[in-house]
Amino acid sequence: MSSFLSRPFGRVVPALLAGTLLWLAMACGRQEAPAPDPITMEWSAIETAARGQAVTMAMWMGDPYINSYMRDYVAVELEKRYGVRLNIVGAQGGQIVSAIMTEKEAGTATGAYDLVWINGETFYQLRQIEGLYGPFTEKLPNAAYIDFDNPFIGIDFQQPIDGYECPWGNVQMALIYNSERVAEPPRTRAALAEWVAAHPGRFTFDSSFTGMTLLKSWMIDLAGGPEHLAGPFSEERYREHSAKLWAFVNEIKPNFWREGRSFPSSVAQMHQMFANGELDFTMSNNDGEVDNKVLQGLFPETARAFVFEGGTIQNSHYLGIVANAPNKAGALTVINFMISPEAQLEKQDPAIWGDGTVLALDRLPQPWPERFLSLPNRRFAPPRAEIQDKALMELAPEYMIRLYDDFRREVLGE
Amino acid sequence: MKSWVSERLRHRGWEASAFAIYLVVGVLPIAAGLIYALAYSVGLAGLLGKGFTLAHWTSLAGQAEVWLSLLTSALIAAATMFLTLLAGACFALGLRTRLRQGVVAYVVYFPLALPATVAAFFVFQALSDAGLLARVFHALGFIRRPGEFPAMIHDSWSLGVIAAFLILSVPYFTLFFSQVYRTEHLEELCRLTLTLGGKRRDCLRRVIGPIFWRRGRSHIVLWFIAMFGGYEIPLLLGRQTPQMISVLTMRKYQMFDLASKPQAFIAALLYFAIVSLLMLWAFRDERLDRDV
Repeated sequence: MSSFLSRPFGRVVPALLAGTLLWLAMACGRQEAPAPDPITMEWSAIETAARGQAVTMAMWMGDPYINSYMRDYVAVELEKRYGVRLNIVGAQGGQIVSAIMTEKEAGTATGAYDLVWINGETFYQLRQIEGLYGPFTEKLPNAAYIDFDNPFIGIDFQQPIDGYECPWGNVQMALIYNSERVAEPPRTRAALAEWVAAHPGRFTFDSSFTGMTLLKSWMIDLAGGPEHLAGPFSEERYREHSAKLWAFVNEIKPNFWREGRSFPSSVAQMHQMFANGELDFTMSNNDGEVDNKVLQGLFPETARAFVFEGGTIQNSHYLGIVANAPNKAGALTVINFMISPEAQLEKQDPAIWGDGTVLALDRLPQPWPERFLSLPNRRFAPPRAEIQDKALMELAPEYMIRLYDDFRREVLGE
Repeated sequence: MKSWVSERLRHRGWEASAFAIYLVVGVLPIAAGLIYALAYSVGLAGLLGKGFTLAHWTSLAGQAEVWLSLLTSALIAAATMFLTLLAGACFALGLRTRLRQGVVAYVVYFPLALPATVAAFFVFQALSDAGLLARVFHALGFIRRPGEFPAMIHDSWSLGVIAAFLILSVPYFTLFFSQVYRTEHLEELCRLTLTLGGKRRDCLRRVIGPIFWRRGRSHIVLWFIAMFGGYEIPLLLGRQTPQMISVLTMRKYQMFDLASKPQAFIAALLYFAIVSLLMLWAFRDERLDRDV
């Protein structure tokens, strides 16, 4: 035994040990020199610096159409036009925050992500930990086509974006129903309660972002209008109005899917159940998603979308650059392309994604306004103009944080 | 004599090197992680830490959530282990010769190659309200709508989670018991028991059962721990409240309220403490070089 070990392994093991230590030392010591801050550079110099960079973008990858738009259109065009390679990785919300927070705690100079697709809660968290680079939006030539004074664009969850994230798309929450089974959908909260009582087991909402957004809309409705919950978070107002919300949900939930003892964990799961015929309703934060899902073949052609009379939340989703991004010039170039009229037009096509544009048509040069207006009409979603007056502003992010926590306690009975 | 001494020294050098590698690669990262988790949980680490505090510990101790989660995880792992041992022993004893050759010998290995996520996916496809089993029930006229099919995914009894765990654990223990049966010559021992006037029941209770337990104890504890801390399967199939401990830990780690992150580290530390106690118990008189 000992002779077996002494010859080959007696040399290999110390070599392995030395190699391991060397690798660890190299891994720990891999700190690249910081590149010059592109914010101080001219745009043409930024594009030159971006050439050859590989930009890593973290995004939710739960929709094949969105993935296809990013991989087959955005990534291809970026490589062709600017010599920027786009690596797309799957991560969203809390995962992005955790990753960036861990990097900051470890003092990592160059992070794993350059670019992140975020919404208001994530923006709030990343600002808390100073995880975002900026302000940068003024640097982007195509930002001139965005109306930052539009509160649904320039304010994210009641926080001014201050140039630390760039609007990418604008959507409004809509409920989706199967018109074959539901001839006339309940357009108010009270009508929904009656419908649910008459059709047990056919309605629910997910316990994730979309479901919580629905709860926010209901809370605003129960509060008597958006003005009662506007502005910074108020514990007093939250307690008053959330108590009414939990009473309402608990009153109608016995007639929810599975008697309201369990809720779908994601909107994707709810879409699947709607497609299977297990539910008569699903919902989406994107008012145009119903067209997209019918075109995918997931939803039946009898699927339709509507917005409650009391309104639903309209918000924008954004692109942010991570504070320790190694390829900031590349990230700026990518964002500028993604808010270009061409990329936004492609994105708004229901056959591609159906995501609302953040560009103000009256600011666009010819012939872009006509091109946007001549896009194929939505077949199953309500026209944007019809639902705009029912758009509710997002509440301060603390409301969402509290709803997540309290939903588990007040409704799931944790 | 001289060559024997140099041989010994070389051997000791190898042992020291191997031990050092084990320390660097195996122990050090875990120890560092635990120290960091402890520091984070008392406010001494982390971006939002504001100095030493026991507030996170006292806050978590006052919440039923984490204790229910640990209890639920233990009950699910124990129930799965019980069913696994029962099924594994029955298959091993019932399919003794078939497990050595032919189709069964091949098929029984197949589930062992499945990742947990794939097992969860299979179970979801089979047992969900609109899954394969529900469709068969519908075709046979037992149910009219998907909602009438008994809930087995995200259900309060965690049936889907247990089913997915069983897909992975039963083949392992079937093969393990089958091997023990052969290597410990249990057939001969049983024959001897019967010759000495014992009954088949005595053979099971006094010969096979104790030997299976003695040889399998460490495996049982390791599988129990794997299921106790399982993540993908309870994430995809488990109930929403209380969640199993790994799912709860990750939820707290990634929650929108960044202030709850220290609670995730506390949950992880509690899990580690329980697992360590189990390991100490399981291996209290095991020799590492024993032939298992």
